[in-house]
Amino acid sequence: MSMTTNTMISISITLNGTPVTAECEPHEVLRTVLRRLGCFSVKFGSDSGETGAGAVLLDGLLVSSDVVLAAAADGHEVMTLEGFSQMREDLDPIQAAFMAVGAFQSGYSAGAMILATKALLDRNSNPTETEIRDALSGVLDRETAYVKVVEAVQRAAAARRGDVPQPFGPLILPPLTDGVHAVAYDPQPTAAGVSAAVPRLIPSRDVPEMAVVGKPEIKVDALKVARGNPAFVDDIELRGMLHARVLRSPHAHARIVDIDDSAAVALPGVHAVKHYKNTPRVMYASGGQSWPNPFPYDQVSFDNKVRHVGDRVAAVAAETPEIAAEACRLIKVTYEVLPFILDEREAMSDGAPVIHDEADAVEIHDSSRNIVHHIHAQTVNDADLETAFAHADHIFEQHFRVHQVQQVPIEPHICIGWLDEDERLVLRTSTQVPFHARRMVAPLLGLAVKDIRVIKPRIGGGFGAKQEMLLEDIVGHLALATKRPVRLELSRAEEFMSSRTRHPQTITYRTGVMNDGSLVAQEFSIIGNTGPYGTHGFTVQNVTGLRGLSSYNCPAKKFDCKVVYTNIPVPGAYRGYGAPQAEFALEAHMEDIAIALGRDVIDFKRQNWVKVGDKLDIVMFLGERGTIEPEDVDPATFPPVMTSGIEECVAQGMRAIGWHRRDEPDWVAPPDRPHIRRGIGFAFCMHGTAIPFLDMGGCSIKMNDDGSFNVMAGAADLGTGADTVLAQIAAEVLGVTIDDIIMYTGDTDMTPFDVGAYASSTTYISGMAVKKAADVVRQRIKERAARLLGVQEPCSIVLRDRRAWAPDGTSVSLEDIGLNSLHTEDQEQIMGTGSYVSADCPPPFAAQFAEIEVDVQTGQVTVIKLVMAVDCGVAINPITASGQIEGGMLQALGYAHTEEFAFDETGRMVNAELGPYWIYRSDDAPATEVFLVQTMEDSGPFGAKAVAEIPKDGVAPAMRNAILHCTGVAINELPFTPERVYNALRAAEVR
Amino acid sequence: MANVVAYHRPSSIDGALLLLGRTDVESRVLAGGTDLIGRGDESAAFEAVDLQDAGLGLVHLGDSRAMLGATVTLDQLARHDGLPDAIRDAARRELPSTLRTQATIGGTICAAESESEFLATLLVHDPVVEIHGFDGRRELPLPQVWAEPHHLRGRIITAVSIATDGETRADRTARTPADRPIVAAVARRPGDGRIRLAMSGVAPTPVLIDDASGVRPRGDFRGSAEYRRSLAVTLAARVSGAL
Repeated sequence: MSMTTNTMISISITLNGTPVTAECEPHEVLRTVLRRLGCFSVKFGSDSGETGAGAVLLDGLLVSSDVVLAAAADGHEVMTLEGFSQMREDLDPIQAAFMAVGAFQSGYSAGAMILATKALLDRNSNPTETEIRDALSGVLDRETAYVKVVEAVQRAAAARRGDVPQPFGPLILPPLTDGVHAVAYDPQPTAAGVSAAVPRLIPSRDVPEMAVVGKPEIKVDALKVARGNPAFVDDIELRGMLHARVLRSPHAHARIVDIDDSAAVALPGVHAVKHYKNTPRVMYASGGQSWPNPFPYDQVSFDNKVRHVGDRVAAVAAETPEIAAEACRLIKVTYEVLPFILDEREAMSDGAPVIHDEADAVEIHDSSRNIVHHIHAQTVNDADLETAFAHADHIFEQHFRVHQVQQVPIEPHICIGWLDEDERLVLRTSTQVPFHARRMVAPLLGLAVKDIRVIKPRIGGGFGAKQEMLLEDIVGHLALATKRPVRLELSRAEEFMSSRTRHPQTITYRTGVMNDGSLVAQEFSIIGNTGPYGTHGFTVQNVTGLRGLSSYNCPAKKFDCKVVYTNIPVPGAYRGYGAPQAEFALEAHMEDIAIALGRDVIDFKRQNWVKVGDKLDIVMFLGERGTIEPEDVDPATFPPVMTSGIEECVAQGMRAIGWHRRDEPDWVAPPDRPHIRRGIGFAFCMHGTAIPFLDMGGCSIKMNDDGSFNVMAGAADLGTGADTVLAQIAAEVLGVTIDDIIMYTGDTDMTPFDVGAYASSTTYISGMAVKKAADVVRQRIKERAARLLGVQEPCSIVLRDRRAWAPDGTSVSLEDIGLNSLHTEDQEQIMGTGSYVSADCPPPFAAQFAEIEVDVQTGQVTVIKLVMAVDCGVAINPITASGQIEGGMLQALGYAHTEEFAFDETGRMVNAELGPYWIYRSDDAPATEVFLVQTMEDSGPFGAKAVAEIPKDGVAPAMRNAILHCTGVAINELPFTPERVYNALRAAEVR
Repeated sequence: MANVVAYHRPSSIDGALLLLGRTDVESRVLAGGTDLIGRGDESAAFEAVDLQDAGLGLVHLGDSRAMLGATVTLDQLARHDGLPDAIRDAARRELPSTLRTQATIGGTICAAESESEFLATLLVHDPVVEIHGFDGRRELPLPQVWAEPHHLRGRIITAVSIATDGETRADRTARTPADRPIVAAVARRPGDGRIRLAMSGVAPTPVLIDDASGVRPRGDFRGSAEYRRSLAVTLAARVSGAL
């Protein structure tokens, strides 16, 4: 190739079997050029290539196209996922296998996974699991635990060898308990030899047989994912699109004395520069929550103060990303650097810098001491609480510290905005909350809500990070200023430092216990670190209080919490939403009490955990209604637990983990490995299902000529399988298969309202809205069918197998009913709407187990296996439900074990890249096993409770308790990094 | 994003040296790109000199040594059944599947990352680096290349020769089994019976050491200096004792 300087390069590659010539600039990487050529399956995850989302085959080898210069690919063969579709109309066995086992959640990295599989199987037709995991090691998946991905590769290999694949579905196991009482432990495993990818399902006699619900249906969106069809935010091309870039603060805390944007504005190709001097100052809270957003309102689009490294300073829209970056470098910012604080324990100290000193912030509890909120709740008054403590035989007090971590969706935040033909602003954005985002962004842009359309296309993971209005205002400002489409995507470093994270907390538990093991008083105090902005600070800490005082019965409870400002990157919503913090401390505290009392840890917890009929008292004192005094609440109104499968969960989990080994000295301390100790830990988990009286979802359904149905729901599927679950609910009601359901969700112009994807609410709330809408449609179908069949009583008509059946066995097809209703007789559009808000919040329960090894000489902890048995009511789809649990557990393991924010002396995060910030890969993920224990929750659609967040709750305490079991050392701070464990072991030796 | 302003793909070592020898432009060798492109920043503009056509991608096996071309990838090393298992395993561990197909042995040597267990493994295999310049060819032990970086100025690493005999043991401490080790120790007993011990994570580059208690590491968030020192002693004793 000839030398080329600062000019376009012409490269020739063989792309998916076809010779292609393309122009590129010298700095452009292969990913950029492939996407320009229409290969949208090649995704951006990070410039360093660590996510593998942009992996392609280069001369048959799997490579990250992020780190290959396009020019370096000249003369080579490149294959992307699109190549599969070009080769054949039907599915490749690899694509079919991934679809069959539910290996994709969002499918953002589907192309990379399928290509990794092809590269492996092309050279090794019968790989071992270790070889498969190694082959996938470069493709990070934040949504699964790689279990079903490995299963898919194994099935694809078998199919290539000519084996006929068996249908993939749950393993049905008989119950070990009567559903209420504990049983004697039996060390025999219940599902030995069955693939870990197969969920173990323990049915309940209370659950009726259903045609679609409860079945392992293939996801409704699996095909487009497997084919790599353009479905995500960035998979569109708009003429004249500008590229946005945000200038971010290098300081943890500083006042912006001046901004001079003249050089940036003058740079050719720059179309707009926005900052505090030219942007209206409108206070808001960025958390994506129902109206009115919880206080404080302490943010503006661009401020004259920065409060963390990575905070917004200015934004640029330019012809190319490179020009936008250069423009940011040309903006001259004069800072007055201020002292900063990172630790919540120092935020309220005398002399601590005041982070919010602006006059127009709304409803900060005590800005002079950085206290955003003071939350307190108690089921008895202070005098009664102290009396209860005074009568306790034992009082235990412990302190815990939980840290900051990030959600790490492989698809970073991205938003593209433009003005449509009616000059309305369209925001195509990676959000969990399209309706909240529309309402919240409107005042910042000076627009009416009706002038904005927010579209949530397919999302590459969110985990709460996208329960925010984070980019939409910036893109809106720039699109309105330029009248051009504007695209803004966060880099991986920005995703760490400038999106959202989990709240760190300092926690204290004080518990009074009687000699018989019963709890008599419990006090739970936390300092919650909300970083520089309030956003979800109030509600997350509320949930911490709720979860920390709900799991165990106790007649006297008190929660006290101060939410404080600091200068760390902004915490917000993160899957679990305050519960993982609480349950780590609670399950550690209860474990230690049990040991101190000489009790079996499970028996002690069982004695106290809430059971069916027990009242959940603290929930009545927490929430967005403010402080309620004990005297003002009637205990008769405390909601009771209606369903619980926890005893079955514990029984199944104990057998799966091999609980008896805890008592075998040679297993705990293997004689042939003198520096190794093995441990098994347990955690009891309880979560919530949606927010009662607040979370609301809507749905409309219409019938088509051929008897199919369009389901339009406001819900937001983030890859969780929500669209599939909603389709199954509709199909069950309407007597069809999910092939006859066409899902469309999350578009503020086209679908009914829904609060969005958070609070474990989609199946329960949106699902019930779908069910109600489907009920309306079903009734209209039955009425018309009765007329067509000559039946007097429409209620006697049954919908089944795409037909309406009369009691005498005659039937009419739904297609005939659709044609009749639309074209021939008394025409009408058969359609229905439904919306749902719940008065209940039925808790799912779970038993979490962890098996670990500790190297007592180095502090290294290796996690061998995680087992979780979950009572989520009726799993509408056991495959997607188990996928949620597997992925949630592995994400929770990162929280417990490897993930943390590390800062330098200036307050800058030093590990804002994947690798230094370690999330589990396919080749180090531990074994997992998932049990779905059915209960029939009558308040949920077809018996469902939530499953999305409870997998986040138990891994950290189970791991902590496993370390305690085998070393005798209790560690009350996360994560369990080698040095922290080493120091704890050494400190224990010294004592 | 690396600020590459021009791309060159010379077909010979001399062609590459000509490009790198220009004094009016900043030129850098492009090996696999995992470091230069993946971790590049926008501020410094340079011209990339891609060695993929320079004929440096082969492995030659001798009786007790192997010659590894500079653009041999870690993936090639991991799959090559003629190489010592320790080298193959360390090459596989060094990077995940999507990056080890691109990262080269020459590029890895130039990056000289402190926590590279692969480089520590290389060190115990008596590595000799072949360097070409217009002033000729020279062979230097790998530690000398790192200690005297002027040897690489205007020159190109073309190959690395390693010993292939002996027994090797490795141990490491990391957050997870696939994570880059905080500290790793590798020991090899070749035919001469004299144990070579190398460590990563205890010095600015991986180092050959005689006495682990004498290391003076710098700490970071994954491991303080004191902790790394402790690991060095423990892991060194383990791998040496296992031989």
